[in-house]
Amino acid sequence: MLAYITKRLGLAVLVALTVSILAFMLLYLSGDPALAIAGEGARQADIDMVRKTYGFDQPIIVQFGNWLLKIVQGDLGQSIYFKTDVGKLIFTKLETTLLLAIYALAFALVISVPLGVLAAIYKNSWIDRLCLAVAVVGQAMPNFFFALILIMLFSITWRMLPVSGSDTWQHFVMPAITLGYYAAPAFMRLIRAGMIEVLSADYIRTARAKGLPTRSVIFKHALRNAIVPVVALAAVQLGFLLGGSVVIETIFALDGLGYLAYQSITHKDFPVTQVIVLLLSVIYILLTLASDIANAWLDPRIRVA
Amino acid sequence: MKNSSTAFKAPLAKFSLRSGLLACALAATVAFALPAHAGKKNDTLGFAYDQTPENIDPYFNNVRIGVIIAANVWDTLVYRDPNTNEYKGQLAKSWKQVDDRTLEFDLREGIKFHNGEEFDADSVVYTLNYVSNPANKATTQANVRWIEKAEKLDKYKVRIIMKEPFPAAIDYLATTVAIHPAKYYQEVGPTGMNLKPVGSGPYKVIEHIPGKSLTLERNKDYFKDSPKAQPTIGKVRIRFIPDRQTQMAEVMSGGEDFIMHVPKDQAEKLKSLPQLQVESGNTMRIVFLQMNTREGTPAPQLNDIRVRRAIAHAIDRESILKNIVGGGQIINSICTPSQVGCTSEGVTTYKYDPALAKKLLAEAGFPNGFEVDIMAYRERQQTEAMINYLNAVGIKAKLSFMQYAAMRDLARANKTSLTHQTWGSNLVNDLSASTPVYFGGGSDDVSRNPEVIKLLNEGDNSVELKKRQELYQKALAIIADQAYAVPLWSLPVYYVANKDVKFKPYHDELVRFWEMSWK
Amino acid sequence: MKKNMALYVGCGLLLFIVFCAIFAPWLSPHDPYVQDLTNRTVPPIWYEAGTWAHPLGTDQLGRDYLSRLLFGARISLLIGLSVALISGLIGTTMGMLAGYFGGRIDMFVSFMVTTRLSMPVILVALATVALVGGSLWVVIMVLGLLKWDRFAVVMRSATQQVRAMEYVSAAQSAGASTLRIMLTEVLPNVLPHLIVIATLEAASAILLEAALSFLGLGVQPPLPSWGLMISEAKAYMFFSFWLIAIPGSALALLIFSINLAGDGLHQFFTPGERA
Repeated sequence: MLAYITKRLGLAVLVALTVSILAFMLLYLSGDPALAIAGEGARQADIDMVRKTYGFDQPIIVQFGNWLLKIVQGDLGQSIYFKTDVGKLIFTKLETTLLLAIYALAFALVISVPLGVLAAIYKNSWIDRLCLAVAVVGQAMPNFFFALILIMLFSITWRMLPVSGSDTWQHFVMPAITLGYYAAPAFMRLIRAGMIEVLSADYIRTARAKGLPTRSVIFKHALRNAIVPVVALAAVQLGFLLGGSVVIETIFALDGLGYLAYQSITHKDFPVTQVIVLLLSVIYILLTLASDIANAWLDPRIRVA
Repeated sequence: MKNSSTAFKAPLAKFSLRSGLLACALAATVAFALPAHAGKKNDTLGFAYDQTPENIDPYFNNVRIGVIIAANVWDTLVYRDPNTNEYKGQLAKSWKQVDDRTLEFDLREGIKFHNGEEFDADSVVYTLNYVSNPANKATTQANVRWIEKAEKLDKYKVRIIMKEPFPAAIDYLATTVAIHPAKYYQEVGPTGMNLKPVGSGPYKVIEHIPGKSLTLERNKDYFKDSPKAQPTIGKVRIRFIPDRQTQMAEVMSGGEDFIMHVPKDQAEKLKSLPQLQVESGNTMRIVFLQMNTREGTPAPQLNDIRVRRAIAHAIDRESILKNIVGGGQIINSICTPSQVGCTSEGVTTYKYDPALAKKLLAEAGFPNGFEVDIMAYRERQQTEAMINYLNAVGIKAKLSFMQYAAMRDLARANKTSLTHQTWGSNLVNDLSASTPVYFGGGSDDVSRNPEVIKLLNEGDNSVELKKRQELYQKALAIIADQAYAVPLWSLPVYYVANKDVKFKPYHDELVRFWEMSWK
Repeated sequence: MKKNMALYVGCGLLLFIVFCAIFAPWLSPHDPYVQDLTNRTVPPIWYEAGTWAHPLGTDQLGRDYLSRLLFGARISLLIGLSVALISGLIGTTMGMLAGYFGGRIDMFVSFMVTTRLSMPVILVALATVALVGGSLWVVIMVLGLLKWDRFAVVMRSATQQVRAMEYVSAAQSAGASTLRIMLTEVLPNVLPHLIVIATLEAASAILLEAALSFLGLGVQPPLPSWGLMISEAKAYMFFSFWLIAIPGSALALLIFSINLAGDGLHQFFTPGERA
């Protein structure tokens, strides 16, 4: 087990390093970074001074090394646009996005678990197809369209929910729905497949043959076991949700990481963009690592793969 | 292979999903603060705006909301009455012109900043000397670069010395030059001022969450002699909501009480809702289409005057104004009509004539038109309408829509071709705050005509009104004749508010919270 | 064989949309780019103020909506197809190489996939488009270069399965070159999976373009991409709901038909098993 963990950890570090290189390269896509910082019709002398201060005159490898070193030590740089510490900036916004992602995940599970179970029990019937249709229909619309329709219904017409902001849990209902429904079909399919597999297993048939009531069979044994791969997927999906929240945060005025990323991109504030991309990637890598390790703990055969 | 599942899942089966979810929910509810609801009941005016200022310090941002916040949280030496346009003393009791370049002010006594610090000559001297120093990189240099220095004569007496005679100085001092507390500003600088803003105005900042909200509270000790009225509304909660439709949804559902910059179409429809009121006001903001004719411009076609004139003839300004813009008026010079020195007399005007436009393009060697980049940062519908008119004469304009700062920086770096510009002159009612910004040889000038630059500089530095007007008129005439930019229209602004709010729109786009009250 | 409803309905709808796109110039009553500022936001015929001159009404600049819808089909289909093609090419090559050769190549490809998966797609797309400028082709290239991961993963496992088959070892012992084997033996057998993934990725690409347009960094006006039309109509959605509902429904229909067709194809290629 230890060998497996070490191996996966090593791989994770390597991936993180590669992503950090790519994130760092974002800097150079925007042309001369010294010009971007000096900005506002700066004279050549100013630009040269900026170049020296920030170390842009050094070879890229050295710059990257310095950047990485600083990050590992906790210095995430200065935002060009907001003129504050990047770390502080991100830390204040991270909470909102994290909450949003967790709520979205919860919503996705809340609708996909019952649908998946139903679909499995009545597999290949019209109920099965209907469950899939319900899960999939949300995927066909652009999420901002869906979001605005929800606002029209729940905020303007029925006045049940607040439109925007992040003060109370009610503020997160519509954002969570909009962000979460995209993940639902994947979970639904997984639960359905898992349930079908388990329901047809021998020990379930035995329990049924013994005369145990169907409901207890399903909920106590089958679901518990079918849930396991879902947990692994949930970890991975959380990573995706964190990265995909830009549009939702813009519409619902949730001042989170996604909206900060959008602002930093449109203002060419690359120090912030770099760190956000890196941060989201590292979170994703950690989540997949955790889910891999959890899987391996449960199924020892994976460890030798 | 298929029967693998059973034996290995036992450990995780003990994990109870329910208790896990419960724990999360509990943690989540604890994480929330109590919401501050807007509305008459809570004596809190909910105001939503789309752009966040990068810094609340008035000298370090360039957006309208920054100007609005500045007027409510800070005071200036002098105050321009929006109804009569006359200058009244605010932080200063009186003033006099000592010579061409010097103004002397007698300051009011007994005024305190929001943090208790006393207002006196030190506040004025430190603030002005700090922001006029180019090393400190104030964002809109035009507001401060005329200042040579401020001198303290006595505890309540200061002199402000200009680099050159600058008659518009008094207007700047009445609008953009906010006074900071010297000791506090020295300690914390613009960064600290952004996190915890301190001024002397009718409202003080009690909370600033950058990018999210700014909460103001009535300054109960606001000095009674100020020309600004004593504030009535207890709290103002400014929220930054980037999406226009979300803002509209908020004001329709009662989550916010006041929004502005609502597009004409939506404003007219919102009028029909019983809980809302809609007002429109003129603004000082003018719209014009700039053409980059600097050396090294990405669009060398624009160097040909026939091409520029063709572009001017291609756009049906009247139609766009009537159908898309709404209020406002057509302008024929690149300045706000109300500004001192602004005129359209003796200035070439370009009528809508697509056939003539095509002819001019053919003469210039572009019978089939050409491709060109166009950049814009607001009023996208107007940009699109213009693109369609250009398209009709063969000019295929490719749109890049971006944030103002990004477009400004691109223009300054000589990377733009056509720019759909707007300019509000920071409320300064003098031509020196508009035309020279874009034609006076500074970093935003993409035309760089030496004669125009000379005329504008002279006009800025002459003291005699008639002379100034003559010089400015000559400059405007050259700009129009050379068609360096297409003057389009002035923008109206639509305000949508809850019926409970009593407010009066002014022509300078400034929201005066201290004048507003509940019905 | 049991009737494969998904396949028939899905492909039928898709063909209808493709037909509209191809014949847009003949089917459109007006030029989709011509604006008429005196006739803005005219509602469709089923409203009182509607007129047959503009069966689906006009947009905020007075352009005929039906015409824009039909031409917009071209753009959405173009985006879906091109992105699926580009990402499919990249991902399939990587997946097949990894699945066929295994070993180091497999490790390398898996590493690339993991790296790609850990980058937030929409942010990277946003950043790239913001730097390079938005346009139809930039969007297609950016999405195509980012969305190959699912192709790689699925093609890899499909290739692994096929590789173990007898006809492959038969070809190998007959002395056929690796390239030949990959193209003539492996590719035809992994094609079903490829097509199914392609449909999913095409749908996803179309939705991503809509999101990018919403944020102002996708296709630029005046192009009638459905995603852009939806984002422009957003401003009118409270009072002229049809402006956003029409392209929104069209887009939903397209995505739905693509997904359905993909589902049906999956059923067709693997009878007896559901998705």
